[in-house]
Amino acid sequence: MAETQVQTLPLQIKDEQVISPWREAWRTLRKNKLAMVGLAIIIFFVVIAVMAPWIAPYPYDQGELVMKNKPPSEEHWFGTDYNGRDVLSRVVYGARISLWVGTFSVIGSVVAGTILGLLAGYYGRWIDMIISRVFDIMLAFPSILLAIAIVAILGPSLQNALLAIAIINIPTFGRLVRSRVLSLKEEEFVMAARAIGMKDSRILMQHILPNSLAPIIVTGTMGIATAIIEAAALGFLGLGAQAPEPEWGKMLSDSRQYIQKAPWTVIFPGLSIMLTVLGFNLIGDGLRDALDPRMKN
Amino acid sequence: MKKRVLSGAMTSLLALSMLLAGCGGAQTTTQAPAEQPKTEAPATTPAAEPAKAGPKQLIIGRGGDTVGLDPIAQTDGESFKVTENVFDTLVGYAEETTEVVPSLAEKWEIAPDGLTYTFHLRSGVKFHDGTDFNAEAVKWNFERWSDKSHPQHNKEGFEYYNDMFGGYKGDETHVIKSVEAVDAQTVKFTLNRPLAPFIQNLGMSCFAIASPKAVQEAGPEKFNEKPVGTGPFKFVEWKRNDTITLEKNPDYWNAGFPKLDKLVFKVIPENTARLTALTSGEIDMMDGLNPDDAQTVKDNGDLQLILRPSMNLGFVGFNIEKKPLDNPKVREALAYAINKPAIIEAFFAGLGQPAVNPMPPSIWGHNNEIKDREFSIDKAKQLLSDAGFPNGFKIKFWAMPVARPYMPDGVKIAEAIQQDLKKIGVEAEIVTMEWATYLEKTKKGEQEMFMLGWTGDNGDPDNFLATLLDKNNIGGNNRTRWANEDAHKLLMSAQSATTKEEREKLYYQVQEIIFKDVPMVPLAHSTPALAARANIIDYKPHPKGSESLEKVDLK
Repeated sequence: MAETQVQTLPLQIKDEQVISPWREAWRTLRKNKLAMVGLAIIIFFVVIAVMAPWIAPYPYDQGELVMKNKPPSEEHWFGTDYNGRDVLSRVVYGARISLWVGTFSVIGSVVAGTILGLLAGYYGRWIDMIISRVFDIMLAFPSILLAIAIVAILGPSLQNALLAIAIINIPTFGRLVRSRVLSLKEEEFVMAARAIGMKDSRILMQHILPNSLAPIIVTGTMGIATAIIEAAALGFLGLGAQAPEPEWGKMLSDSRQYIQKAPWTVIFPGLSIMLTVLGFNLIGDGLRDALDPRMKN
Repeated sequence: MKKRVLSGAMTSLLALSMLLAGCGGAQTTTQAPAEQPKTEAPATTPAAEPAKAGPKQLIIGRGGDTVGLDPIAQTDGESFKVTENVFDTLVGYAEETTEVVPSLAEKWEIAPDGLTYTFHLRSGVKFHDGTDFNAEAVKWNFERWSDKSHPQHNKEGFEYYNDMFGGYKGDETHVIKSVEAVDAQTVKFTLNRPLAPFIQNLGMSCFAIASPKAVQEAGPEKFNEKPVGTGPFKFVEWKRNDTITLEKNPDYWNAGFPKLDKLVFKVIPENTARLTALTSGEIDMMDGLNPDDAQTVKDNGDLQLILRPSMNLGFVGFNIEKKPLDNPKVREALAYAINKPAIIEAFFAGLGQPAVNPMPPSIWGHNNEIKDREFSIDKAKQLLSDAGFPNGFKIKFWAMPVARPYMPDGVKIAEAIQQDLKKIGVEAEIVTMEWATYLEKTKKGEQEMFMLGWTGDNGDPDNFLATLLDKNNIGGNNRTRWANEDAHKLLMSAQSATTKEEREKLYYQVQEIIFKDVPMVPLAHSTPALAARANIIDYKPHPKGSESLEKVDLK
């Protein structure tokens, strides 16, 4: 892809049709209906998360016990949970937690993974040896098991769950970046840069990193979906968010014993997890198509 | 790319289908519960058929496995549920109360000074290994329990013996001076000091008489896995964390019993999963029914709801060694802020009553004069600012990770209390951990605020008040670490007082001190619920939480 960008760009300039590759990607993306649905879902949840205090009709952590497990009604659109709390309010505030954990854990693993991947790929030899073997070891564990272990050591809380999810996803991004770097390193424009005596740091930041961004963005978007599910799993196991935080996975686990009598306490957080994950997956797929030059016609 | 979209869609479909499967399952069990066992049970489990022809078998589902089967070495209810069917005690309790009735001892005499007890034993009783039960066997058992140098005494000691009889042989506080076998059927106990609940204590499930020969041959560790007693059922097999199987003892001394041929205790940890197993015919009865599910059981024609008489207490305790809980005003403020009636309504579903004192009103000696604090945010706030915390404080609140009869759902009740406390500015952080660790750490006093409970063993007030709040039991069952001297003196004199009236008065006073100083907030006395197939008859649950099933029969 990088090859095509670099080689086609000058041609386009000659034709006086300056369209940046990002702009072009956006055009492709916009034509992809599924991706747009995904984007709409995400925007919907982001708006809900940001506006939570104004949207939620009740506080998420206060309920009246007499209102325990009441079915959806005019006052409580999504019903109430076992503590008499409004499920709608909890789902709305839960969007904050899930998006926050999803986004920030991915940002964390992308930053760490990219730095390590750049180092490993560019310098090779023993640096690559160490970093890659550490990645191998981490990938040898089932990721959720590793996350559980990390949280068990740090103590169960939302922050620690976020940290654990960020850590377990580092190898995914690290390997991705490393493989990009390995091929980019051999490209002529990098060799040229090196030949004119450009510093390593400049080559990495100005040539190699920008050309690795597309796959990072695609994997990152998908990664948010995975991270949301992992956070929900940790919450479900009681290792993520702690009461009374309205984390979706925790809501599922807390209410599962009432699934027969009060299914709404489980359905709404479950649907929310499903929709956000679907949203991120759809937009991720769309981005992959839009950013991959081989897909272009 | 197509693949990706597809896999994304598949994932979400899967999630959706799982969700729907959950709801679907819910619908079938609530709408047509009657159909399931009929169609499935005979096909999958042969257990359901033999009720009519062949051996009578009962499979009992329960939440946890037995710890050990040597009764004296146990302290937990799941162990006693089994040992009570394999062993007998010298005296027993009436079917549904803690009134003492003859068991292995047919009758007994108590000397006027309260220091000598003479028991006349039932004759012709044999242990399951064929040896005779006689006065020597009783003597041998007591020696094993009391003498630390006895070859079959456990390394860890016998906790209940130590607690109920003031330590071991040689200890200054030890109650039993000697046990003599006067003749084959007569045993004489001589005590160092009077112990009012002595007879009451002897009926406890842990003081069951084991076959001396079997213990000597197997050694205490092996015997703990392969018990031999005189009880209505013989031990057959124990598959750890799965089942314990017992079979009928045809030579049982109580002629005509037991009615059943085979008894199987099966572990199914989740309360809801156990109920599903019951409705599908995998098991015949269960304990630990969620209060919420009681109505479901009532509505199911194939099942019956059995209620256990209440003799327990669920409470919120304060570790008074931790600040700011050392301040009685703070403790009282927290007591005012907990909305007891609402919690009981929501989590005990009518199967519980609010607790005022740390002992159930069903036991004599309960002080009915004490009126509980009414839930009041204002009073709580007032007390908090008097104590110097007008804006509240932060506190760690330890919540029970498991469902027990006295606390059907520890963490959810803790969340409700957390909500209550927030109203007076107290931010409670709920802490929870594995159950064994929880018990261990609270014993050591690492907690701040915590929740726990107690099911009575013998129906004596001492078994609640002294066990839970006497300063001698700090490091043991007194997890509040409340070391009130006045209460201690009263509790000790109540132990050695001989008349019930005298003891009653002392316990009234103790309860007043406890109420004023608030080392704990007694929350509820629950009525534990069991569920069984409709054809099970004569199941009489005992208030102490476990019972012998010799009389249980199938229609």
